[in-house]
Amino acid sequence: MSSLKYFSFLAILLCFLVSCKNSVEKGIAPVARKVIPKTPITKDRPNEIAKLSEYHFFDGKIADLKPAKNVYEYKLNNALFSDYSFKKRFIYFPKGKKMSYRPKGVMEFDVGSIIIKNFYYPSDFTNPEGEKQIVETRLLIKEQNQSWKTLSYVWNEEQTDAFLNIIGGETLVSWIDLRGKSQKLNYVIPNQTQCKSCHMLGKEISPIGPIAGQLNRKNIYQGIVHDQLEYFVEKKVLTGLPKKDKLPRFAIWNQKDSGTLDERAKAYLHINCAHCHNDLGPAKNSGLNLTYEEKNNRRRGIFKPPIAAGKGSGNLKFSIVPGEPQNSIMIYRYNSTDPGIMMPEIGRKSVHKEGVALLEEYIRNLEM
Amino acid sequence: MKIKFVLPILGVFALLAYFMLKSPSMPSYNPYRDYLDMEIPILEVFITAKDSSVIELPEGHYLFSQSLILDGKKNIILRGKGIEKTVLSFKGQKQGAEGIRISNCKNLTIENMSIEDASGDNLKITDSENVIMRNIRSAWTGEVSTQNGAYALYPVLCKNLLIEGCEAIGASDAGIYVGQSQNVTVKNNKAYYNVAGIESENSSQVEIYNNEIYQNTGGLLIFNLPHLTVYGEDVKAHNNHIHDNNLKNFGVKGSIVSTVPRGSGVIIMATKKVSLYENKIENHKTINSSIVSYEIYVPPKNKKKKKKKKALPNGVRQVENDYESDTQYSAYPGEILIYNNQFKNKHWIPALDNDFGKLWVYKNGMKIPDIAYDGILPEDYYIQGQQINPQYKVCIQNNGTINFAALDAANDFKEFSNDVRNYECEVEFKKSI
Repeated sequence: MSSLKYFSFLAILLCFLVSCKNSVEKGIAPVARKVIPKTPITKDRPNEIAKLSEYHFFDGKIADLKPAKNVYEYKLNNALFSDYSFKKRFIYFPKGKKMSYRPKGVMEFDVGSIIIKNFYYPSDFTNPEGEKQIVETRLLIKEQNQSWKTLSYVWNEEQTDAFLNIIGGETLVSWIDLRGKSQKLNYVIPNQTQCKSCHMLGKEISPIGPIAGQLNRKNIYQGIVHDQLEYFVEKKVLTGLPKKDKLPRFAIWNQKDSGTLDERAKAYLHINCAHCHNDLGPAKNSGLNLTYEEKNNRRRGIFKPPIAAGKGSGNLKFSIVPGEPQNSIMIYRYNSTDPGIMMPEIGRKSVHKEGVALLEEYIRNLEM
Repeated sequence: MKIKFVLPILGVFALLAYFMLKSPSMPSYNPYRDYLDMEIPILEVFITAKDSSVIELPEGHYLFSQSLILDGKKNIILRGKGIEKTVLSFKGQKQGAEGIRISNCKNLTIENMSIEDASGDNLKITDSENVIMRNIRSAWTGEVSTQNGAYALYPVLCKNLLIEGCEAIGASDAGIYVGQSQNVTVKNNKAYYNVAGIESENSSQVEIYNNEIYQNTGGLLIFNLPHLTVYGEDVKAHNNHIHDNNLKNFGVKGSIVSTVPRGSGVIIMATKKVSLYENKIENHKTINSSIVSYEIYVPPKNKKKKKKKKALPNGVRQVENDYESDTQYSAYPGEILIYNNQFKNKHWIPALDNDFGKLWVYKNGMKIPDIAYDGILPEDYYIQGQQINPQYKVCIQNNGTINFAALDAANDFKEFSNDVRNYECEVEFKKSI
């Protein structure tokens, strides 16, 4: 009889203990069923165009990216590294609108101009014009009030259109690289607010690429090689172009005959770093200025101690130690993919090995 | 035979049961939830919100993996279908510390929803003007725990603020916390299962009324802390029902509220121009209401230092603590007016897990005071001999038969007194009430 008592007591205790253990753990996300709003969450009318096709930038099959009337392809001498993605760039000018030449900084665009940048991965990098996967199309729109607006559109899998992107996301991309190796990565599409991380100049949004030194190059239009800027003048979308000998031209980072090592490295740093590391950019407080024009060695990073790098300094003393890339913060950060260390802070998830090699060579050859 | 076998097991279970019963069990808030994922459309609405946007959140229990952020907008209304109907849960969130974070907005109304389980604060609003929080239940679900986020409703550095009809549950710091803000009304709210129920900290022109504050560690805290951008004064608390705030302190060690002894109804600390009237303050195991200086909160190592110091002739000690490096800051309460309140206590024995409770045993005949004043006085407490500097006056009137204790805490309770007659006075600012 008494053992029965004990057992019932035990049973009660056990229940008690088990019920304690069952208490829901904090900090663990429960499962949620995906639903879509039945009624609109806000009556704000979305005043942005929802689909890329509605702009009519391209003729024929949209994924062929064949520019329509008033849309002009352009190329830059050096491109920002974006996880090995290829980019096709265009400018749309409304009828009669144009850009005006500026010797320094970005060309002056008329209201209504739209800069179009398509990010894509050819299946085989040795055949860039072959089969490709377009990931996103970013737009910079010059608005009535003279300010720039940023929008981006994410392509569907079928490559039949791209849709307004607000919250960003990730998409898997794969390709065969120049050495025949297959590669893949999760390409990160930034959200709408992140555009500003790179495109702020002072308090204004600004394009980065279309500056004289970067646009001054050859390009092929209808099968014929043209000087790109002269072609724009011919098409009446560029005014004020000075004589050829007055035109600046950046070296091309991966073409040895385009400039000295120093020039190529500076051009590479300009496009990859100077959108923040300039006197008006978000990194102005760092004291590091990596614009092509910057002449001051210390401001370029040579023997410059870090200001607010935190753990990004990797316990190294200077941005650049001439002759010692391994002791230069610039290499440490450019070679990292840790979000708390890497530079630039956003826009890549992989290391640009060829770029790192260039910068290492540049630092190794710097003289004290 | 059988008994031999069972007894040791029984012993183990008995021990386990003992330890389980020994630690006071904490209350729980366990609403039924059926989580839905509408994160992307709702995030989109937040990112694309414009001036004068009205955001209508539908009925349902929505789970988010990241904070909802709104910055620099005017005339925004964010509205659910009701406390029980629209629930925004941030349980297990991966990005951001807050549930909803709003900054630099003007004319903002948030109403009719529940906000739950953010890793940090459930609803934080900073640097904003003309803000209304109405009919919001902000809670942490499950058993009350130190792992809960800090503040349930957290406006800070705001101007013109109304919090009404809200509930705050389970905050490991303060349920309704008004920090460094100006012109604030907190009315018709409920706060329970928090470390601090409602806290006004370094805020000015604050009116707190018709609230029910219960089952927290401390009920209503009116604090003024050093080394912040703004100092607070002019706080009125009236017609509140503050009762049974005896919950074990589950604050994160090191936070100021973690030093609040459980069983504290109202604490007025280092704040000036405070009036406490027509409240019902009941059933606290440590003190129904207290008026204290910041010094009572300085860490023990500083207290020791204090003991070594000699008393100055006028009975006031000089204490060198780090708050004194803040020259703008006064560590002492003053112009305090406590009148027409109803005090009651069903508890006969004070909580003995804190120094105050023990003090009542030694000095107060086991009675739990309705009003206690620490009596730690500033150097300039007396002007012209025995006249009390008006800015440090404490006046207590018409609270019925109460147990009052003036502690003389600065002098090892030498002049401990129950005589309230010394404090029957009026202070000037009452006219403005």
